[in-house]
Amino acid sequence: MSLIPRLTSLWRNLFHKDRVDQEFTEEIRAYLDMLTETKITQGLTPREARRSALVELGGVEQVHEKVREVRMGQLIETAWRDVRFGVRALVHSPVFSVVTVLSLALGIGANTAIFSVVNGLLLRPLPYPEPEQIVHVWHTPPQQSFPGLDKFSVSPANYVDWKAQSSAFEQMAVYTDTRFSLSTSNDPLSLIGAVVSSDFFSVLRTNATQGRTFTPDEERPGRDQVVVIGHGLWQRAFGGNSNIIGQTLTINSRSFTVVGIMPAGFEFPQEAELWVPLAWNDNDRQIRSDHNYLVLARLKQNVSPEQAQTEMSTISSRLEQQYPGENKGWGAVVIPLREDLVGDIRPALLVLFCAVGFVLLIACANVANLMLARGANRQREIAVRIALGAGRARLIRQLLTESVLLAVTGGLLGFLLAVWGSKILVQLGSLPNTGDIGIDTWALGFTLLVSFGVGIMIGIVPALQFTRANLSDTLKQGSGRTGGSSIKQHTRKALVISEVALSLVLLIGAGLMIRSFWKLQNVDPGFDTRNGLTMSIFLNWIRYSEPHQRLAFFDRAIEQIRAVPGVVSVGATTKIPLTGGGSTQPFTIEGRPSAAIAEQPMALTRYITPEYFRTIGVPLRQGRFFSDHDRDNSVPVIIISEAMARRFWPGEDPIGKRLTPSFHAEQGAREIVGVVGDVKATGLDIDSSAMMYMPHKQAPLPFMSFVVRTASNPESLVQPVSKAIYSIDKEQALTDVQTLDQVLMKSLSDRRFNMTLLIAFAGVAMVLAAVGVYGVMNYTVTLRRRELGIRMALGARRMDVLRLVMGQGLTLTLIGVAAGLVSAYGLTRLMASLLYGVTATDYLTFVTVPVVLIAVGLVASYVPARRATKVNPTIALRTE
Amino acid sequence: MARKQVDLLQGTLDLLVLKSLTLGPLHGLGVSHRIDQITKGTFKVKPGSLFPALHRMEEAGWLQSSWGESENRRRAKYYRLTAAGRRQLNTETEDWQRISLAITTALKAT
Repeated sequence: MSLIPRLTSLWRNLFHKDRVDQEFTEEIRAYLDMLTETKITQGLTPREARRSALVELGGVEQVHEKVREVRMGQLIETAWRDVRFGVRALVHSPVFSVVTVLSLALGIGANTAIFSVVNGLLLRPLPYPEPEQIVHVWHTPPQQSFPGLDKFSVSPANYVDWKAQSSAFEQMAVYTDTRFSLSTSNDPLSLIGAVVSSDFFSVLRTNATQGRTFTPDEERPGRDQVVVIGHGLWQRAFGGNSNIIGQTLTINSRSFTVVGIMPAGFEFPQEAELWVPLAWNDNDRQIRSDHNYLVLARLKQNVSPEQAQTEMSTISSRLEQQYPGENKGWGAVVIPLREDLVGDIRPALLVLFCAVGFVLLIACANVANLMLARGANRQREIAVRIALGAGRARLIRQLLTESVLLAVTGGLLGFLLAVWGSKILVQLGSLPNTGDIGIDTWALGFTLLVSFGVGIMIGIVPALQFTRANLSDTLKQGSGRTGGSSIKQHTRKALVISEVALSLVLLIGAGLMIRSFWKLQNVDPGFDTRNGLTMSIFLNWIRYSEPHQRLAFFDRAIEQIRAVPGVVSVGATTKIPLTGGGSTQPFTIEGRPSAAIAEQPMALTRYITPEYFRTIGVPLRQGRFFSDHDRDNSVPVIIISEAMARRFWPGEDPIGKRLTPSFHAEQGAREIVGVVGDVKATGLDIDSSAMMYMPHKQAPLPFMSFVVRTASNPESLVQPVSKAIYSIDKEQALTDVQTLDQVLMKSLSDRRFNMTLLIAFAGVAMVLAAVGVYGVMNYTVTLRRRELGIRMALGARRMDVLRLVMGQGLTLTLIGVAAGLVSAYGLTRLMASLLYGVTATDYLTFVTVPVVLIAVGLVASYVPARRATKVNPTIALRTE
Repeated sequence: MARKQVDLLQGTLDLLVLKSLTLGPLHGLGVSHRIDQITKGTFKVKPGSLFPALHRMEEAGWLQSSWGESENRRRAKYYRLTAAGRRQLNTETEDWQRISLAITTALKAT
């Protein structure tokens, strides 16, 4: 049939349904009449003929129904009718509908929110052309010096050799991320940016939207005072004005000409807003042992990361032989960019995704249970419809329409929740690449897909069961309540058991996270976080090129800060504890056999002012702190941490011993004057490693973090302290202004994020499971009213009834808990990498959590059990 | 009627309905009588399957219906073959002959 008649027919069937129906009624009546007449002519009496014709017809309604079904447009028409009918049915039971929609909204919304994060970080390709070809190439450091570190930044000379010798890459670029001070008419802006080689942008295959990126010529010192700015910065600081190109900006007290503006969303490396050329001179290119750069490369077409890895391994072992002094033990590793950016967060996200999936499953089980309970009351309605000629398939479709309707309503509501929830997720967790996370069409598609799936999942069991019911049995039962539907009760119990099991798995997961977090919080960071304020500054190399200039700046800054009312003491260090590894240096110990630099032991290195330890609260164990007398013309001194003392001078007194940090070899051996307590440098969950401290005055670096001990709330001093520093130089921007408590909080933020979410999911799961147990027990009590009445009439005491009902609830819970324990035992291993100080099968958690859940199960069945004891035998026996 | 009745094969009903209408338009009961007649009582088409088939075939464009007057002056709905219906009858007849030949051959094989 061609399109137009088909459409007319569709139109007719949909919108002139009454006429079509009426015509058929007429047609069938004519048929009946004619058949009757035929039979009369065959010799039957009119009465008999009519009867026989009716029998032959076999039910006008059934025939009519079948004809309707074959009609084109039938599908759409019934779907529409199902929806209308469904809406009506749902409006009729508002409590049921609201409860269902809300629990599904929570379940689906949580899933959408987590999905948007997973999609943004793990699934969606990076926003560059052919992103799977982009890789980071890292060094792998020698394990005896850097235990546990699997990647390390690259030195200039090694990069130059890699680039020259490799053939697997289309392009290889080098960059380093750093902070810049952009001078403005007010306080300077501190910006994250990168110093990049000229092919950096072509590796990413991203060009400037206006102007251009860098030319190879601009990699030469002297030609490098050009800058490319990000779209965000352009909008924010320059009002999106295009004539910014060609203008001059003062960055780190140098002037740079703006040559290009990058497209919106280009923020590589993370959160970078401006890029300047990397200009190495010939000496820089020779440096092999100073690892400060990241190498970004694009694989050639048809070259896999594995092939590139093989080539890089060959090259780096060749370099090891060629330069054993600097390169011994230094390998190379090729890591696809995405994996490198999100590698650490993947296990946590997958655990959360599983957890949130569990919550949805539990919510579904609950809703399915509700639908079963509600369906029991609809059994009569359904039986009547079957009797009136509704086909089973047709009824199943009707019931599924209702459940899908519920699920989609819940899903759309959940989507709104997710829009709001994913914003919180991004704020709560320090997630990488946050520009990519958001509710988009993918998330909407996911929501709809999940909603449909959920709708079918929650509807299919009730739909199959109700339509299977024995017609005459149901119709015969006057009250419409089917007592003997034991299959249905089995299904309901099975659903509740799985709810309990799933929620136990979640609770155990959350329990393990709480235990880890609790253990971590009891870890001593090694310093006092109360009433402490910190802020960092990176003096620019030009204005502060001479050591005495830097010394003068920091001396004055400390003096100024000390003068601020409310400041108790002030010190400075090159890196605040808990904020990362920072500088690590090889060293040699006087009187012990010396080794090549690649084989020397390593220690984290900090440069500090004399007051630093006292200010931050690191205790002195032996010897003395630095004083103002330790300066460039006095004896070179060093303070080591307890861990370092234990490791290198076990059972000896390290005071007075001498060692030479390799970066300061020209100053000769340094005398150990003190031993101080260990601090957690990288994180509370990482053991304190060897650390050495040198007086800033003997090695004045341009970047320092101030530590200010305050008499009261440190936040109130942020303004006066920054002002004190800006009074010295207005072009040096302060960064990372935070209290020491915030530093501590931040170091735990990933864990707190994972833990909070897991607790939330587990909590929701537990409540849902409790509601499930309550629901099924409550229903059981209703079904067994009569029996309970008889028991009580025969002398059962309230206690017996209570025990009977609660025993049943307890059995359900126990089976669920047992199943949950087995699954948890298998599943929690997957989250081992998220734990600290507890094993994935931590017995305390595996005992406590089931006890809690069993208690919750008991409470949930206590309420129906109490109701059971209130059954009045006479009334119970009289009804039904 | 002692003759043995046979259940209609899937698809056969369409063929019989189309065939019954080749001589001219018929109403529902007429179609059913005509099938009874041309199959010599082997197939009895009940309204429960006849009407859905008629409506389906009408929607498929093989039949066209119109109201007319029956032999005893009753208003009845008459079905007639369309061009598409005739084509369909030809295809189905060919198919059927092929199948029936094949089955007969198969059954005669020793």
